[in-house]
Amino acid sequence: MSEYTVINSRAVRVDTPDKATGKAVFIDDMTMPGMLYGALLQSPLAHARIVSIDTSKARNLPGVKSVVTAAEAGLVKYGVSPARYDETLFCHEKVRYVGDDIAAVAAVDMETALKAVSLIEVEYEELPAVFTIEEAMKAGAPVLHDNYPGNICAEVHSEFGNVEEALADCDLIKTTTFQNKRQDAAFIEPQGCIASYDLSGNLTLYSSTQVPHYVQRTVAMVLKLPVGKVRVVKPYVGAGFGIKASANPLELSACLLSMKTGKPVKMNYNREQVFQYGRARHQFTHTMTTGVKKDGTIMALKHLCYLDGGAYSSFGIATVYYAGSLLGGPYKLPNMKYDGYRIYNNKPACGAMRGHGGVAARACWEQQLDMIAEELKISPIELRLKNMMVAGDVTCNDLNMSSLGMKECIEAVKDGSEWTAKKGKLPKGKGIGMACGFFVSGAGYPIYRSDTFHGTVIVKLTEDGGTALVYTASAEIGQGSDTTFAMIAAEALGIRLEDVRLESGDTDFGVDLGAYSSRQTLMTGHAVKEAAEDARRQVLEVLAKELNVPVENMDIKNSLIEFKQGNVDFTGLRTRYSKEHRGWNDNPADGPLTFREASRIAYLSKGSIVGTGKYKPPELGGKYKGATVGTSPAYGCSAQIAEVTVDEETGQITVDRITDAHDCGLAINVTSVEGQMEGSVSMGLGEALFEEVKFDKKGHVINADLAEYKIPTMLDMPQIKTIIVESNEPNGPFGAKEVGEGAIMPTIPAILNAVYDAIGVRIHELPMTPERVYLAIQEAKKGKTG
Amino acid sequence: MLLPKFDFHEPKTLNEACQILAAYGVKAKLIAGGTDLMVNMKKKILSPEQVISISRIGELKKLDTSGDSIRIGSCFTVADLSTSDAIQKHLSALGEGAKNLGTPLIRNLATIGGNLGSARPAADLPPALMAYGAQVVLNSLSGERTLSLDKFFLGPGFTAAKPDEILSEIQIPSLPPHSGAGYINIGIRKGQDCNLVNVASFIALDTDGTIRNARIVMGCVGPIPLRASSAEKMLIGQKPESALFARAGAAASLDSTPIDDFRGTAAYKRDMVGVLTRRTLDIAFREATHRQ
Repeated sequence: MSEYTVINSRAVRVDTPDKATGKAVFIDDMTMPGMLYGALLQSPLAHARIVSIDTSKARNLPGVKSVVTAAEAGLVKYGVSPARYDETLFCHEKVRYVGDDIAAVAAVDMETALKAVSLIEVEYEELPAVFTIEEAMKAGAPVLHDNYPGNICAEVHSEFGNVEEALADCDLIKTTTFQNKRQDAAFIEPQGCIASYDLSGNLTLYSSTQVPHYVQRTVAMVLKLPVGKVRVVKPYVGAGFGIKASANPLELSACLLSMKTGKPVKMNYNREQVFQYGRARHQFTHTMTTGVKKDGTIMALKHLCYLDGGAYSSFGIATVYYAGSLLGGPYKLPNMKYDGYRIYNNKPACGAMRGHGGVAARACWEQQLDMIAEELKISPIELRLKNMMVAGDVTCNDLNMSSLGMKECIEAVKDGSEWTAKKGKLPKGKGIGMACGFFVSGAGYPIYRSDTFHGTVIVKLTEDGGTALVYTASAEIGQGSDTTFAMIAAEALGIRLEDVRLESGDTDFGVDLGAYSSRQTLMTGHAVKEAAEDARRQVLEVLAKELNVPVENMDIKNSLIEFKQGNVDFTGLRTRYSKEHRGWNDNPADGPLTFREASRIAYLSKGSIVGTGKYKPPELGGKYKGATVGTSPAYGCSAQIAEVTVDEETGQITVDRITDAHDCGLAINVTSVEGQMEGSVSMGLGEALFEEVKFDKKGHVINADLAEYKIPTMLDMPQIKTIIVESNEPNGPFGAKEVGEGAIMPTIPAILNAVYDAIGVRIHELPMTPERVYLAIQEAKKGKTG
Repeated sequence: MLLPKFDFHEPKTLNEACQILAAYGVKAKLIAGGTDLMVNMKKKILSPEQVISISRIGELKKLDTSGDSIRIGSCFTVADLSTSDAIQKHLSALGEGAKNLGTPLIRNLATIGGNLGSARPAADLPPALMAYGAQVVLNSLSGERTLSLDKFFLGPGFTAAKPDEILSEIQIPSLPPHSGAGYINIGIRKGQDCNLVNVASFIALDTDGTIRNARIVMGCVGPIPLRASSAEKMLIGQKPESALFARAGAAASLDSTPIDDFRGTAAYKRDMVGVLTRRTLDIAFREATHRQ
C-alpha cells in the first residue's frame, strides 16, 4: 500500500480529454489575425560557395511581405553549446549540406511564399563534398569549417585507472566493432511555430519545442533583442525526442520575419524538411576491447568511437562525451580509456536523441559482455550480477549511483520472462537475450555555463480558495509531465488532483531548462514540491494563528484540514467563509474544515498566497576535462529480456516478447512510467531492426518520409511486460528519478543477444534488416563448410 | 505539401466518366481511392489539369460470384477484398494480398482497380490476380474490350489502357477443382511496407494428382510483375512434392530480373524469390488438395 494519496498511482492524465477529442491545440491548429506564412529557401547542394543571391523577383511578387537573407539576419553565431557556436541563421559564404538555410520569405499565403522562394536566384560555385567519416578524414579532404582542420568537430581523450596495465593481467580480452545508423526520431508533429512581434517591441514565439528557455535565449542572442522582450510559449507538442531541444532556423526566421513585417508569421517543416534538418541520433562506430578475469570480473575497457556528425555541431560535443562516459556504469569498472572523435561532413547535423550518446555504445558493450560470458561459460545474467554496482557506488569517472535497483531489475526480468526455463532450451530459430542499461536523471549542468536554477515554480492559490494554480516553464511534449507535476503539487499541498490547475511551457512562468536529459521529473519535480510546500506552510501558518493550534499539529489531506490532537473549534472560520458566500449552495456546512475554506481565510489574512520553489543540483562530478558530461543527481536503470523468432530462410526477425524492468526511484504516475517503457521499446526495436536515414551520392536524403523510413508498426511490436522497480532515490522528489531515456538502453542489445541465441551468428551492424541477417547466416554457413 | 491546382469531375455513371475522359485525354487522371495519385500530386511528380473521380459510380463497386467468372468492380476497395468471405473462399491468395496492402486506413480507400492501374512493380494485388489468370475490362466511348492481365502491365506506371479507357472490372475465371493458390510478400517490417519481394503461385491438379497447370508470378523483381515461365514448365505433369517445389523456386530465382536499389540488393531479392516460390507452392498445393 502506498503511503501517498495522489502520487504513486494510476492517474488519468490531465491532457487526456482534450487530446482524445481533438480539442488540444498544437501549432498547426493555431492562427492569428493578419497572420503571414513563411517559407525557407534551402540549399539544393551539399557543399558550395554562394557567389550571389538575388531576391528582387521574390520581393516583387504580389503578396510577398518580406524576404530575408544573411544581409538582414546578421551573422551572430549560434548553436547548442557556446563552445561550438558554428551556425548562422542564414548561410552567407557557403552552404554545407542539402537543406542548409539561405533565405526566408513571408507572404500572405503558403502558395505565394513557396512561389517567392522559387524566385530567389542563388549563384553557387559547387565545392567537393565529403559524406563519410573516411572521406572527411582523408588527407587533403575539403574542410567544412575553416577553424576545424581535418573536419574534427570535437575529440575526447580520457583514461581512468590504467587500462593497458589492467589488460595485461586479464584472462580474456575481447575486441569487437559495432555500428548503428543515423536515425530520425519520427515524432508525429513536425517542427512549427508562430512568431508575433507587437508594437511595443515584445516578441512572442509559439513553438513546438522541448526547451522554451533555451529557445528564448537563442532568439534574443541571434536577433539582438533584450531577453526580457522575448517570450516563448509552447502549446501542446507532438514529441521531440531531443531533436526539438534547441532553437531551430524556423523559429529564428519566423521571429525575424515578424519583426520585419509587424505581423504574426507562421512557419512549418514538412516531413521531408524534418529529415533534412536532422539533429537526431548519430551514426556511431565503436571499437571496444574489454578485459576480464576468469571468474568474469570486468577489469578494463578500452574504447574508440567515431561519430558521423554532419555539417554542424548541434549537441555533438555532449554526444561524443556521453558516448564514452555512459559506460562508466552500471558495472564496476576500475579502468576505462576512451578516445572519441566527432567528424564533420556534408550531411545534415546529428544531435541528441533519446538515450543521448549512450545507445549504440550500450548495444556494442552489452553484446560483447554476452560474448565474454559465453566464452567463460558463465550465464549472461550471472556475469552481470557479479559485476553490478550497488547504491552508493561511484564509477571510475565519478558518477555517483545514489540509488540503483539494478539487481532487482535483473531478478524481475529473469522471473518475469521465465528465463531459466527458456535459456538454452529453445528450438533453433528462437532465441532469448538480455541486457542492462542506465541513464542520467537530468544533466548535472545547464548547456551554457551558469549558476542558474534549473527550474523555478510558482504555486498560487486562487483567492476565492480551493484551487492551486501551478505555473512552470517546463515542457509537456507528450510524455505526461503536466500530470506528473500536478500530482506532485497535489501530494505536497495535501489536496486532490482535481483541485490543481497547471499551466506550463511559458518562459513568463519562470526558468525551466526543459524536456531533455530526462530531467524534468526529478528537477522540475523538486521545484514543484518546494513551491507547493511553501503554499501549504503559508495556509497552515494563518490557521495556526486564527485557531491557536501549532502548525505541526495540523495536516492537509484530500483537500481537508486534519487536526492531530483533539477537537478544534473552527466554526468561527466556517461562519466567516459562509458569510462571504451568502446565497451559494455549496458552502461546507458540517464535516472537517476544508482546504477551500482554509485557503480563503489565508488570503483574507495575507493577500494572495504564492508559494515558490526552485531546484539546482549540487556540484557534481570530478575535476577532469569533460567531467560534467554524464553527471546527474541520480541515475535510472533497467534490464530487459527479448525473445525473438528468426526466419532463417529470409532473415526476418520477429520480436515476440520483451520483459522490461526499470528502476524509476518511485513512479509518480504508474501509467506514464509504463508508457515511457513501452515507447522506449518501440523506438529501440525500430533502431535495432529497421531504421536508417539513407542518402544518395549528392547528399540528399532518399527516404525522407515515413513510408521509406521504417519505424515499427503495431504489427511489429512485441508483447511487452513492464515491471516497475522502486529504489527510492534520495536525491529525487518523493524518491523519483528518470524513465524517459534510460528505458531505451537495453532494448537493442537484448534483441542482438536474442538473435544470436536464435541463429548462432553475431551481428555487429544495425539495422538488422532481413537482408543483413540473411547475409550473416549465409556468411556463417560458408565459414563452416569452407 | 500543397496540391497543385486542378479541375475536379465526379461523374455518376461509367458512360459519363468515359465522356469526360475522352474530352481531356492525357490531361486527365482518374482517381478512385487516391492513395497513389494524391501522393504523387503532392510531390509534384504528377500535375494533371483534370482529375476525374470514379468513386461515385455504383456499378464499379460490385462483387459478383454468380457466373462462370468472378467479377470485381474496379472501385471495390481493398478493405472489402480483405474481409470478403467470397474472396476468402474462392480467391484466398488475392485476399492475402489485400490483407497485406498498406494500413487499415489505406485499405479503406484503396481500390483493386487503382492497385492495377497505378502499375507499381511491388503492388500487392497483381501477382495473385495474374496467377488466377485474371483479365481486365477496359471501357471507352468506342466500346469495351477485355485484356489478359498478363498483357496489361507495360512498365512502372504504364499500362496497356489507352488514355481514353477506364478499367471498369476485373474478371477471374472460376477455379477448377483441385486447384489452389498462395501469396506471400516480404518487406523490412510487418506492416505498411513497400514489398521487397512478393510472389503468388497457382496450381491445378489433374485427377491423377499430377500438376496440370501452374502459374507463378513474381513482384518487385522486374519492371512489371513477371511470370516465372521456366519454373511453371518444370511443374507441369509432375507430382507435387517439396523437392519439386524447391527446384521450381530455384528456377523462379533465375527467371527473376531484380535490380539493386536502396531497399535491397538484387542478390537478396533473387534468393527470396526462390524461398517465396517454394512456400507459396506449398500453400497452393495444400489448398488444391482440399478444393473439390
